[in-house]
Amino acid sequence: MNSPNELKEITRFLLEYANRLMGSGVHTSRVIRNTRRIGKSLDVDVKMSLFQKTMVVSVCDIDSTEVYNEVAIIPAFPISFELNAELSALSWEAYDNHLPLDTLWEKYEKIIARPKMDPLCTLFLVGFANASFCALFGGDWTARLIVFSATLIGFYVKQIMQKKKINHYLVFIVSAFIASMVASSALTLETTAEIAIATSVLYLVPGVPLLNGVIDIVEGHVLTGCTRLIQALLLVLCISVGLSCTLMLIRNSLL
Amino acid sequence: MEVFWKTIAQYNEGTWIAQIVITVVGILLTILLYQKPTLLVKRLMKGYMVFLNSWISIVYYMIYCGDRNYNYILAIFWGIIALIWLWDLITNYTPFERYHKYDKLTYILYAMPFLYPLLSWARGMEFPMMTTCVMPCSVAVFTIGLLLAFSRKVNLLVILFLCHWALIAFSKVYVYKIPEDLLLASATVPAIYLFFKNYFDQNLHKETKPSAKYTNWILIALCLAIGIFLSITIFHELAG
Repeated sequence: MNSPNELKEITRFLLEYANRLMGSGVHTSRVIRNTRRIGKSLDVDVKMSLFQKTMVVSVCDIDSTEVYNEVAIIPAFPISFELNAELSALSWEAYDNHLPLDTLWEKYEKIIARPKMDPLCTLFLVGFANASFCALFGGDWTARLIVFSATLIGFYVKQIMQKKKINHYLVFIVSAFIASMVASSALTLETTAEIAIATSVLYLVPGVPLLNGVIDIVEGHVLTGCTRLIQALLLVLCISVGLSCTLMLIRNSLL
Repeated sequence: MEVFWKTIAQYNEGTWIAQIVITVVGILLTILLYQKPTLLVKRLMKGYMVFLNSWISIVYYMIYCGDRNYNYILAIFWGIIALIWLWDLITNYTPFERYHKYDKLTYILYAMPFLYPLLSWARGMEFPMMTTCVMPCSVAVFTIGLLLAFSRKVNLLVILFLCHWALIAFSKVYVYKIPEDLLLASATVPAIYLFFKNYFDQNLHKETKPSAKYTNWILIALCLAIGIFLSITIFHELAG
């Protein structure tokens, strides 16, 4: 049986854990599953209400049926599949080995303190990925190189603006505009310029929220799913605004 | 190709006096930046960079290259670089602090804007239908040299824009048959490596993934790939 104080401490950990998962791009049912699994290992029953910005966690002691509730605001963390996988593995470890709360906190802190991807390394990898998109859509070598370079510039601008905490939507509009504007220099060369311009903004497509939104709706979390889809679609709209600005500027026949 | 060289000839004929003045001012400001790097001199240099990039955008591309297709795209491109320099001037982002490590490469880069007309002349071209010191590629190579000489903290965005320009210039070697532009492309490869290596060195204290050592190897591999690609092109040009 957990004392009221212990129940409170467990709730704090579960909130922190679920918050981290939710903020770093995990779909809703997985967050609930993992959190409930840890709860089970600590002999508590966890019930959760998840929204886009907040979550409510009710932790009920199985023996005493005493309940402790807490509400938390979900912060935005960078999306990391590695972190998500490790946090999921932690929930299984807790379930299999009945880890005490102190050990859980220790392991959790260790996981989230691991070094992050170097921003410049990310920059190059995103550049290569986008150049590959250009190749997939039939762009020639010159177009691929131009998309690579345009993506480096657009993504670097995005990193700078995000560091300065500029409005998310504005960041997407400006990044899309800059990347497509730079890629439009392909028009001055004999290359597949239209493909270069079109694929130069693909690095901005919010794939994770779009996928999570669909998964959430399919799995019955319709409210969260719709919110995620609306957010993702707004970002797609911002990308198209940025791209349209470029097309309006370079006007000739493209718009 | 004919339109390309015709516009260059018109530009040179119409602006040769202004080009001489701009070059002399550039030389004087660079010398001042080396000898008396006061805040005023640094600001003047940034002001000069704003002017120089705006000149390429407005005078070169919008006025004299009007006959070329999509000239306004390149005008916007250089206009954006001018705006970045203006932002740098206002926020004082680049401190222009001397960095002696790459002096030899820097001097080679400084010489390149003057090598452009010499190379054109060696190819049998004559004024006004030849490359000069105040043209996009010369300005790009001068900017890379300047930033490398004062690379303790540089505006990476300007470097990325100039690298993109080097890429366009590289493609022009084939399209417009301007082997002079290989100078810029060749100069950019070591410059990209040094700028990014410098950035990594500054961030060595931060624990990141992959570690600085491996990131450095990725960078070396990338620059080697570009270098090999470039060497093949030069070989083709010489063989042709």
